[in-house]
Amino acid sequence: MDPVKKTAKELKAERRALQERQRAEKAARAAGNAAVPAKKPASGSGASTTVGSTSATSTTATPLSETAGSTKTTDSKQRHSLTKEINSKQVDMFSHLEITKGANTGLAPKEIHPAILVLGLQFSEFKICGANARCIAALTAFQKVIQDYKTPEGTTLSRHLPTHLSPQITYLVNARPMSVGMGNAIRHLKWEISTIDIEMSDDEAKKLLCEKIDNFIRDSITVADRVIVEYGLQKIQDGDVILTYARSSVVQQLLLEAHTKGIKFKVIIIDSRPRLEGKKLLNCLVNAGINCTYAFLHAVGFAMRDVSKVFLGAHAFMSNGALYSRVGTAMVAMMAKEKNIPVIICCETYKFTDKVQLDSFVMNEQGNPNDIVNISTTLAPKPGLLSEWLNKPDLKLLNLLYDLTPSKYITTVITEVGMIPCTSVPVILREYKPMVQ
Amino acid sequence: MTGPRDLNAQIESLVNRLRRRQVVGSWCVSIETAMLLRQVVSATRWNQVETLIKVVKEDVGRRLVMAQPRELAVGNIVCRVLRLIREKIRTFSFYGGSGTGTNTQSSMINLLGDGSPMGAKRASPLIISELQEMINELENTYVNIIDQAMEHIHSNEIIMTVGKSRTVEMFLKTAAKKRKFSVLVAETFPTYLGHEMALSLSEAGIDTTVISDSAIFAVMSRVNKVIMGTHAVLANGGLISVSGAQMVATAAKHHSKPVVVCTGLYKLSPLYPYDEDSFNDLVAPDPVFSFNEGDLIDKVTLLNPYYDYVSPELVSLFITNTGGHPPSYLYRLINENYDPDDTDI
Repeated sequence: MDPVKKTAKELKAERRALQERQRAEKAARAAGNAAVPAKKPASGSGASTTVGSTSATSTTATPLSETAGSTKTTDSKQRHSLTKEINSKQVDMFSHLEITKGANTGLAPKEIHPAILVLGLQFSEFKICGANARCIAALTAFQKVIQDYKTPEGTTLSRHLPTHLSPQITYLVNARPMSVGMGNAIRHLKWEISTIDIEMSDDEAKKLLCEKIDNFIRDSITVADRVIVEYGLQKIQDGDVILTYARSSVVQQLLLEAHTKGIKFKVIIIDSRPRLEGKKLLNCLVNAGINCTYAFLHAVGFAMRDVSKVFLGAHAFMSNGALYSRVGTAMVAMMAKEKNIPVIICCETYKFTDKVQLDSFVMNEQGNPNDIVNISTTLAPKPGLLSEWLNKPDLKLLNLLYDLTPSKYITTVITEVGMIPCTSVPVILREYKPMVQ
Repeated sequence: MTGPRDLNAQIESLVNRLRRRQVVGSWCVSIETAMLLRQVVSATRWNQVETLIKVVKEDVGRRLVMAQPRELAVGNIVCRVLRLIREKIRTFSFYGGSGTGTNTQSSMINLLGDGSPMGAKRASPLIISELQEMINELENTYVNIIDQAMEHIHSNEIIMTVGKSRTVEMFLKTAAKKRKFSVLVAETFPTYLGHEMALSLSEAGIDTTVISDSAIFAVMSRVNKVIMGTHAVLANGGLISVSGAQMVATAAKHHSKPVVVCTGLYKLSPLYPYDEDSFNDLVAPDPVFSFNEGDLIDKVTLLNPYYDYVSPELVSLFITNTGGHPPSYLYRLINENYDPDDTDI
């Protein structure tokens, strides 16, 4: 190595260290600043019980962001270089999809609310996953943000709050791409904000918004799920063998409800690596006393011959009737269609989108490719043959998170507005636009 | 059994190794079977051809087949050997034998069997040398297959494969010497043979991507063709293949992508799948759900099928050591390679 190059490298390292230091200082300052307005509403208003409780969580959450800021130099730096390496080994046809870097709480801008920081971490580490869970968690976090929000002088809430929310949303999207349902919910929230009367006082407006958010969760998710379960029950009869893939919260509720109703049926749970979500469902159903069979995707052809119905969950429904859901769903639906078994999708209408998609490439999400390396099907990690993949120039790993099921494989969609063919998604969007908005 | 004691021991040993799954994989199994049968033929003293056929078919063949009915290659090799014996006797009796009759094959064999132990003596070394030729052919099966690689892979192609097949591995590596293409390997749970395959291909300089089994459908639209190996080919052109192959083939069909199966003819079985599951095995479910995971395992049924049946309409082409054949042509190959009398051993 020649000395000139070396000094250049050293200079670069020095510059980087300086940058890191400045960033750390900035983050610490940001965390300090965040703590001040977070405490204010607790001492100032404290009117409703919800306000008190959320400000308590936000103050406890503040130190968390500080600790994250101090440890980042070691941990996140390592992670950063790793993701850089992983990103350099992107699969060509998916290079437009960035592999999620994960939330970096240390480098977060100062206006990010602690609740959002926490949520970002939970999202990026898949502690909260599933379209409904993520949507509820995000909306609840936004409630906290709104409660801790104070309109600055010379502007109104309905004008300024959206600009306050958008960096929070951006932060969440950076942690993990937003789900369609979340997008719809946020659009709804923004619309609600825009309709708030300028004359209304801050406290009143915030209270109203929180109520609206609660209503949205109730109407679009909680009650909608209950209605879907009611409809779904009509489709489960004694002696049925129901196959489901991975884990959907609605399908889980439906199967549990059918069991408590005394319907005698069997369930086949098909699971897949690396997420193993079906195992959670299996645990839940077996503990409820349902007769369960568990197999992986490779057995789907074998398992399909006894099946009478296939119930699947959804991440989103495209306007062209295609289902966007956990990767592998398309394969299960296809195999069922091959054997002429009805495929029933349970999906709330807030997951409907007016976008259209024809393949699983344009819009998708990539998980951490290292998950493929781990060949364990239990909690304990077990590195397989590919653990050295980063050193093999011609070897790439692809960990896709979603796929698109064409409408021809779907028999019916159970929504809270009734059982519809999947081609009626645009109709629902049109008819219920004011409700979904 | 007319053979000497150590031959008996050898038979016993192969039977046991088959039963204990110490010899697995169609290729190993067929080589071992063929070598053993060569010894059986050379050690057997026979005057009438029926005696030899009976020894090969009933005494040895049946025992080997029963030892591991899922290794269809055992039966295939036994059938091939029987066919070979019958054919040699027929030509021998026609050209050099005592009989002039060309009526029916049975009468020819009888003619030979009837009169001349001398004829048998002369036919025996011929049969053994034919057998040796068959073994050599078996050992070089994939050479003939990989020679065709250039005819099937064009540049910048995206190829999907599943499991690990030595033939496919060599096939792709041969093509990679001259063409640039990329391979998507489905990881093939629970054996993770896809990982092995991908590692081997990437080390040969092929642009390889491992995908989870669940992403097969998602990426299929970009794939140009599916190339895979198989465990056995059945008489109707269906495959007994690594579990997961069925969904790969079905996904390929739904995207109208050709499914190419690379296989030596020794995997072609004269058996017919009257029931999809008749050639399948459910094996230990440990990779699916570990025993260490607690009480839950007592209350759950676990499925871990070892093979998958792929129906012939999902297969576009077989690339064999005798060239490429569509599934509809396989019955001809069966007629050529096996005698109708031997299909049920």
